[in-house]
Amino acid sequence: MGTALTKEIVGLLTDSRTSKVLATVDEKGFPHAVAGVPLHIGEQGNLLYLEYFESSATNKNLTRSIWFDGVVAIALSNAGQSFQIKGRPIKNHITGPLFLKFYQEIRSIQGDVNLASVWEIEPVEIIDEGQDARREYEHTKRPFFTHLDRIAR
Amino acid sequence: MARHQGNKTNSELSLAEIVAKYPDFPRLIALKIDVQRRGVHYTERALAAVDYSIHQMRSPYLFGSRDGQIKDLPESLLLRDGTTILTDPTPPDQNPYHVDLVDGTFALIDNGQFVEFTDLWPKPLYYDKKTSTGIPMSHIASARPQRLNVFQSSYCHFWAEDQGCKFCDIVTHTKQQKSEKGVPTRLKPSDISETIKEAVKESGRFTNICLTSGSVLKGKELFDQEVDFYIETLQAIGENFTTKKFPSQLISSSFNEKQLARLYENTGLMSYTSDLEVLNEEVFNWVCPGKASKLGYQEWKNRLVRAVDIFGRGNVGTGLVSGSELALPHGFKSENDALKATLEEAEYLAERGVTTVYIVWVPRPGSYFHDQQNASLEYYVQKAQGLHNLRVKYNLGVDFDDYRRCGNHPDSDLSRLL
Repeated sequence: MGTALTKEIVGLLTDSRTSKVLATVDEKGFPHAVAGVPLHIGEQGNLLYLEYFESSATNKNLTRSIWFDGVVAIALSNAGQSFQIKGRPIKNHITGPLFLKFYQEIRSIQGDVNLASVWEIEPVEIIDEGQDARREYEHTKRPFFTHLDRIAR
Repeated sequence: MARHQGNKTNSELSLAEIVAKYPDFPRLIALKIDVQRRGVHYTERALAAVDYSIHQMRSPYLFGSRDGQIKDLPESLLLRDGTTILTDPTPPDQNPYHVDLVDGTFALIDNGQFVEFTDLWPKPLYYDKKTSTGIPMSHIASARPQRLNVFQSSYCHFWAEDQGCKFCDIVTHTKQQKSEKGVPTRLKPSDISETIKEAVKESGRFTNICLTSGSVLKGKELFDQEVDFYIETLQAIGENFTTKKFPSQLISSSFNEKQLARLYENTGLMSYTSDLEVLNEEVFNWVCPGKASKLGYQEWKNRLVRAVDIFGRGNVGTGLVSGSELALPHGFKSENDALKATLEEAEYLAERGVTTVYIVWVPRPGSYFHDQQNASLEYYVQKAQGLHNLRVKYNLGVDFDDYRRCGNHPDSDLSRLL
């Protein structure tokens, strides 16, 4: 079952200054992370990842994930905000209106580029990885995780 | 694995059992195979939801279908991983999967149970157009989700000598298609060029062009005239591209080196396929009497290997009509034997740069084998895995005939991971 994207996540995804990283896993369990990935929000509230290269490791790993129910991770960060989204690839658009829309759109903006797939990723968990949120969590929930000098008189 | 008994198998495992038994085999590819084995039936509710303006309806094809009819039905299906299923409309009493609506979405149903959501193939824009000679462009090039098929001639000369391949219904279907739909049996290069020009205007829609037709035996040397037809057609298609070579596949008779060199040098063709159909000489001689008598199994095979010198490793392939090697009474007696023999021969070819793909055999009413049955799901799963493993072992690509450029080979669906 998916989880809804929050207002903060939507804001980050639509901000061009946001750093966007997609991490997948290969058949041996090795992680493969790619930065600066094109991510959009789909009509159903899922993430849409535009894969430009059919032969990329990410594309193969996403294929393996959709075949064997694997998950991927997406990290978003910008101006002190940092979130991690765990997601499940649920659909690979290689044709049809959604694919054609993005294919034509990116070519109109970027010139002669190719588009292999539009991967639809359903968010299953959103984790706030920002410094403030992590600090608050450790302070209230894991009070042992500190150094004594921080609380010394 | 199921034991082949006559034209029936016992102890056949269901899709769910196969998925449980082969956890490293993708369920969606196993489903594709099973849907192809058993065919589909569209419910009235599903048909009522078909939108002719956006869904591709059945268009002319080289071969017929399991119901032997040409009905106005959706062309085929797409699974959510991008896998294409070329389906055969099948009478409900033959236990096909049903395509129905679930929550307003098309879905595959098996004996009342939901299996998977599916999409219908989207209709390409050029399907609404006609050539300047007045022929519907869908009669000139038929579309798959990402490929254009051109069947320049749908008559096979082996049939004239009563030596057609026993699984094939090409001529029966051609006659039916011509009489019922007015589909031309021979296409003019100018009509083809015009249609391709229109089709590629739809930005992002197509990645490959595939040509195939029946065998033409005429010419100074065997198949010379067939080669001439292909060169003429490919040159007409090539007019539409800025590069000399364009992503393309030819599935043809088995040509000699001189013929292959002519094809390669004079056209934009990038890959070559010639189908051995079954990978065993004895069974080939029975199933494909025309190919056997005119050229022979060994020469057909040797020509494939020699084609690698011209088209390159991974750009030459052979196709199998998988399951027909088990036909009665002269086919393999067990699926294990058939699998072993097939993979051994496929390995011989793979070592030499020729890749092997299969289609799931559908016994069709217009063919000699019309009353037989195809193989078990387990057989097809093991064969797909075996052929893919050979490509991994020999680092052999199949880009020209993969899930997207073709979509009709479960084994090359697996090779998306290469």
